[in-house]
Amino acid sequence: MILTGPEIIESCLKGKIVIEPLIEEQVNPNSYNFRLGHTFRIYDQFPLNPKVQNSYTEFEIPTEGYVLKPNCLYLASTVEVMGSTEYAPTFAARSSVARLGLFINLSASLGDIGYIGQWTLQLFTIHPLRVYPGMKIGQIMWWKPKGKIKQYAGKYQGSQGPQSTLIYKDYEKKE
Amino acid sequence: MILTGDEIQHELKAKRIVISPFAQESIEPNSYGFRLDSNLICYDNKVIDACEKPIEHHYQITKTGFCLKLGHFYLGSTLETMGSDFYAATLHARRSVSTMGMWIQFSAPLGHTGAKIPWTLEIMVAHPIIVYPGMLIGKIAFWQPLGDCIRYKGKYTASTDVVASRLSQELYSKQGGF
Repeated sequence: MILTGPEIIESCLKGKIVIEPLIEEQVNPNSYNFRLGHTFRIYDQFPLNPKVQNSYTEFEIPTEGYVLKPNCLYLASTVEVMGSTEYAPTFAARSSVARLGLFINLSASLGDIGYIGQWTLQLFTIHPLRVYPGMKIGQIMWWKPKGKIKQYAGKYQGSQGPQSTLIYKDYEKKE
Repeated sequence: MILTGDEIQHELKAKRIVISPFAQESIEPNSYGFRLDSNLICYDNKVIDACEKPIEHHYQITKTGFCLKLGHFYLGSTLETMGSDFYAATLHARRSVSTMGMWIQFSAPLGHTGAKIPWTLEIMVAHPIIVYPGMLIGKIAFWQPLGDCIRYKGKYTASTDVVASRLSQELYSKQGGF
């Protein structure tokens, strides 16, 4: 079952969902709108290799906005710290943002129960697009699970700002 | 919980779900197959600005078909008016369409409770693909919500066809930030 907007707010007040800061006007019938942070990260050496830590450049985007180029992946983050120990999250662009031809995640819309942190967004645009820090860019939905819950304890727990892939850590463990 | 095809049909009869026009054969095991209408929008801006109304270019998909080009972004519309005051919806491509290399609704698949409209589809292709008006293109699924329902009253409420982004209506001041 997907949580309704009023249920999302209620769950935040009861501590079952974390959304910080919580602004009630940002709630929708079935989701909560989150904002774009001002720090961006881009990979700067290619090809990327899952077995090593990939090199990146991080920069701040100004209040006047920043033009995203097509065919370039920008990692950004939500302003909000979000998560839940009871509900499974999925996230997507807001419709108005998707209608500008922007992806905010690349086939990875499902989060884990127990992850609480800022969410890394994968910005990928079809046409050049100017975006602004603080714009309401996406929406998070919450789903009631069935079964016993085991909390997320993975490598991205508590993320702050955009995080590049840590897949190389999976290889470190094995070797 | 996701509604089964049988339950979608039941709720349609009970007027708790709207699908118009409705075709019995488009009921799937846990979704309803929707069709592509004939109007498309592309943007003409060199750089689209999230704060400004985009410049729209309208195209008509004719019976002879319309070729979607690689690297372009299109907005299309479902032929059907669909939605529910009682369930949330998600929209997806049909497998037959995604296996041709087409994305529809790739970035914002959620349909809010209370929105009963023809849905604007975000479309892009992995290689040139011809589309035809009325072709079966996607499927809508309905989900049982948990908690008190509020109904969508957003800026796309009165949509009757494909609608370009109205993000700029949110009146952000470029200088003042968001």
